[in-house]
Amino acid sequence: MEFKLSKEQELIQRTAKEYAEKSIEPIVKQIEDENKVPDEVIEGLRELGLLCLPVEEKYGGAGAGFEGFVVGLEQLARVSGGVGIFVSVVMLGTSTIAVHGTEEQKEKYLTGTCKGSWIPSVAMTEPDGADPRMLKTTAKKDGDYFIVNGTKRFITNTNFAGPMVVFAKDADTGRINGYIVDKFCEGYSISEPWDKLGSKGAFLSDVYLKDVKVPASNMLGTPDEGFQTLKVTMAMGKIGLSAIYLGNILAAYDEAFNYSKDRIYLGKPISQFESVRNSIVDIAMKYEAAKLMTYRIGYLADNTANKAKLVKDSAMTKIFVTETAVDVSRIAMNVFGSYGLMKDYKMSRIYRDAIVGPQIEGTANLLKTVVATDMYK
Amino acid sequence: MAGIMIYSDKDELSFELLSGAKLISGHTGLPINAVCINNSEQAQGLAARGAETYLINNEAINLADSQGMASALESAAIQLDANIILLSSNRRGKELSGRLAEKLAAGCLTDVGSIKVNLDKIECMRNSLGGAVLAAQMITSDYKIIAVEPRVFEEMAVGKEGPINNLKIEAQAAELEVLEQRAKVGDTANIESANILVAVGQGLKSENDMLIIKELAEALGAEIACSKPVATDKKWLPEERIIGLSGKKCKPDLAVILGISGQVQFTVGIRDARTIVAVNTDENALIMQMADYIMVADLHDLVPEMTRALLVKKRLNGVRL
Amino acid sequence: MNIVVAMKQIPDLQQVRIRNRQPVLDGVPMTFGSIDKNALETALQLKEAVGGNVIVISAGTEELEDTVKEALAAGADEAYLVLDDELEHIESSVSAHLLAELIKQIENIGIILFGEGSGDNYSGQVGPRIAEILGLPEVGYVCDIELEDSRVKVTRSLEDCEEVVRVSLPAVLTVMADINEPRIPSVTQILKAGKKPQQILEVEDIGFDLKGDKKIVTLSSLAPENKRKQITVKNGEELVDALLTEGVIRR
Ligand SMILES: Cc1cc2nc3c(=O)[nH]c(=O)nc-3n(C[C@H](O)[C@H](O)[C@H](O)COP(=O)(O)OP(=O)(O)OC[C@H]3O[C@@H](n4cnc5c(N)ncnc54)[C@H](O)[C@@H]3O)c2cc1C
Ligand SMILES: Cc1cc2nc3c(=O)[nH]c(=O)nc-3n(C[C@H](O)[C@H](O)[C@H](O)COP(=O)(O)OP(=O)(O)OC[C@H]3O[C@@H](n4cnc5c(N)ncnc54)[C@H](O)[C@@H]3O)c2cc1C
Repeated sequence: MEFKLSKEQELIQRTAKEYAEKSIEPIVKQIEDENKVPDEVIEGLRELGLLCLPVEEKYGGAGAGFEGFVVGLEQLARVSGGVGIFVSVVMLGTSTIAVHGTEEQKEKYLTGTCKGSWIPSVAMTEPDGADPRMLKTTAKKDGDYFIVNGTKRFITNTNFAGPMVVFAKDADTGRINGYIVDKFCEGYSISEPWDKLGSKGAFLSDVYLKDVKVPASNMLGTPDEGFQTLKVTMAMGKIGLSAIYLGNILAAYDEAFNYSKDRIYLGKPISQFESVRNSIVDIAMKYEAAKLMTYRIGYLADNTANKAKLVKDSAMTKIFVTETAVDVSRIAMNVFGSYGLMKDYKMSRIYRDAIVGPQIEGTANLLKTVVATDMYK
Repeated sequence: MAGIMIYSDKDELSFELLSGAKLISGHTGLPINAVCINNSEQAQGLAARGAETYLINNEAINLADSQGMASALESAAIQLDANIILLSSNRRGKELSGRLAEKLAAGCLTDVGSIKVNLDKIECMRNSLGGAVLAAQMITSDYKIIAVEPRVFEEMAVGKEGPINNLKIEAQAAELEVLEQRAKVGDTANIESANILVAVGQGLKSENDMLIIKELAEALGAEIACSKPVATDKKWLPEERIIGLSGKKCKPDLAVILGISGQVQFTVGIRDARTIVAVNTDENALIMQMADYIMVADLHDLVPEMTRALLVKKRLNGVRL
Repeated sequence: MNIVVAMKQIPDLQQVRIRNRQPVLDGVPMTFGSIDKNALETALQLKEAVGGNVIVISAGTEELEDTVKEALAAGADEAYLVLDDELEHIESSVSAHLLAELIKQIENIGIILFGEGSGDNYSGQVGPRIAEILGLPEVGYVCDIELEDSRVKVTRSLEDCEEVVRVSLPAVLTVMADINEPRIPSVTQILKAGKKPQQILEVEDIGFDLKGDKKIVTLSSLAPENKRKQITVKNGEELVDALLTEGVIRR
């Protein structure tokens, strides 16, 4: 057992932290107000290899594995939850293609993302819900093409050019598969962005797919591998979410700890009050626990050949970390009192970001059914 | 072999070193020799302060060339039989001290912030670990080179006249060539990088009173900063000058805080100041708890008084503030 | 041309906590001094402008083999190191001698760069000492460098003025913290750093007696008492006097 970052991972952590503090922190408010990750930031992330941490080097990725990914994303999300989601979805798209894509698909879409200007999306959720059993989007075979029709809801990064992995039902067989759609192709359009409570900055909208012609070669995996692809996507997304909200916990921890030392009450810092100290200890313990689970899922992702097997562990990690983040935000907010509610305080953003975690990428309720199914099978 | 030798390229720093040498000499009885290189005015200044002064006049020695300068001082130390060498820890002095130390196989301490002599042992205090700790250190080699920070010692006062001797030092022409010297362009207003800040808060009665604040800042060589309401509500100063959570985090050597209550949103921006002076009519204001110097007073009275006191001292000493 | 950069391994100062006035260094990762990173950046920019090879030199404990990856990740081409666990708290004169030995192993040197001071001790002696050992010209507090064939034109930033000087190569230069902004190493480079060449020497190889060469003793090393003085003064004059005595304002 080894619970220590390698020197390389420590340096990845530092690179992500320095970049976030130098180039993201000063414009967090702008990112939130404009609900957009600025182009300079995207380019900065790409240049430093932070955009495509786990993608293999031969496709232009950093080749840092998922251990490197969770360590790096934690530091980015510590400064901005929006940037966190943005980067996480890039990972989700590239990983889905990396696991089930053909060599040609990988060459085109991974390289186009890591070295070109593409930003991937993954579209699963629909107005009816995120459960694959409810999918209504269809793909109908038509010669060398599939014709895709449907509406996708709450999809991230839809405003950027690049591949979108769309999960759809085969109109003839009813089997679910992933199809790579080039965003902004004919028949692709998006709604106005949703204005969400927290994790602002990551662009979120609905996607309308109307008679979108997808080359047959853009289907991911073989027709009967669809369920596996889906599982991989589900697992990968949860690894990303865990790292984002681990960063959120760390941010709350820093803020509350520092505030407790600065805020003077009745002539002494509030850190002298037993109850405040206990709160800080609670936060610290929760951070450590969340960190162990998150780093472990990174390790498992690097050391599990069949990524579909990660569904249960990644779901447990995601539930734990995102719910812990909400918990920690509440405790940290109590350390601040009213001041924490003010926008001038980072704490207010951290709190809004935290609320988002449990509701996305599979709600906790839903994910627990997934875990339970696996446990009782 | 024993004696103290002092040298600085700057006149006033050499006068300060003279006080330092006096301290060491007082405990050890060692003689003091002050060395000047191509600077007879400094030699006169040192002599006027009672120093046994040695003037080296040799145009081949170039102030900008640490190699030649170190050679000259090495020869001087040998000729004057000095083993304790005090230099100033300004930039030139620090460059010189390393090079000279290597020539003399000496231990060397730079940025020395205070000196204590214990019998014949010279203990030097200096910051270490990036300022996190203060170390007391002592040089054990025969030759000892100590570079003292500016302002550690008072300049030696003018007194009994000392002699000026000429010291002959051979030197080779410097390999280094000085192409140009130019004055530094003044820093633009930036409260984050200012060494001294005068911060004003809602205790100030009217915008007109800003004049007395400006006068004080000028006398101190300080930048003016403020609490948030002074900029955002009163609009007496631009928002770039706000200290605190919504403003800038500053760590000046000195912060003079006038009429500011000291809410945490303000203090997070100034808590790292080295020295804090708080002036407030309310002796229980929070700001008083984090001050080094506390003054319960109306700032409208205190500020002009302080400016006056500064100007008087300046005139008395005849040196720039 | 080889551009040599001397870098000192120090604990990451942001992570050093003080307990009972003692610094707690357990578990604090090692890094390089921040101005040393400016020196490295200077070397990288020179290399980008005129070509050459950037070699990092350093003396320190065994951990240095790992720490140096940071410099290699930022773009240095190779490293020459002296490793010994006895090298934890070495004084400037010892560092200078060990590093000078490393420099002697390197051919075709153009410029030897240092930060104006190390991140922990900031004594600024090692550069000038090495220049003396190697008999080279030295310019400190450099804020601008212009290479001219076999010479270099540099701007030295003094307290009150700037001075432009020219020296012949090879030369020792110590750079200011504001000469540039060090680049953030990319993840790709970080992962390649471990594969770059490292030449490692032991103290015995150099034939240096660490213990015999002590010139400084440290009597104590404590965090200053971080309490505010809380001195009440009665009037403006008393206040000004107190500030003058403390040395925070110039006489
Ligand atoms: C910022 C953000 C980014 C997003 N990005 C993407 C994206 O890029 N791609 C994408 O496809 N989707 C994305 N989504 C959508 C998101 O993943 C889903 O909305 C989320 O998983 C919730 O699913 P749902 O809408 O089906 O559940 P909801 O309808 O919101 O669930 C309602 C309630 O029913 C419960 N519930 C639902 N199903 C079950 C069940 N089987 N068992 C027990 N309880 C259940 C839920 O727990 C919840 O309490 C994003 C959403 C947001 C807010
Ligand atoms: C979210 C948020 C962010 C904030 N960010 C900042 C920030 O970045 N920076 C900031 O400064 N504030 C900030 N504030 C405001 C902060 O809480 C205080 O309200 C503010 O610092 C008070 O400014 P003040 O001390 O000048 O005024 P007051 O609190 O009104 O204090 C005036 C002081 O002057 C003294 N006084 C009155 N008359 C005299 C006199 N004649 N001579 C001497 N003393 C006199 C009084 O005793 C009093 O102590 C923020 C507040 C919030 C809620």
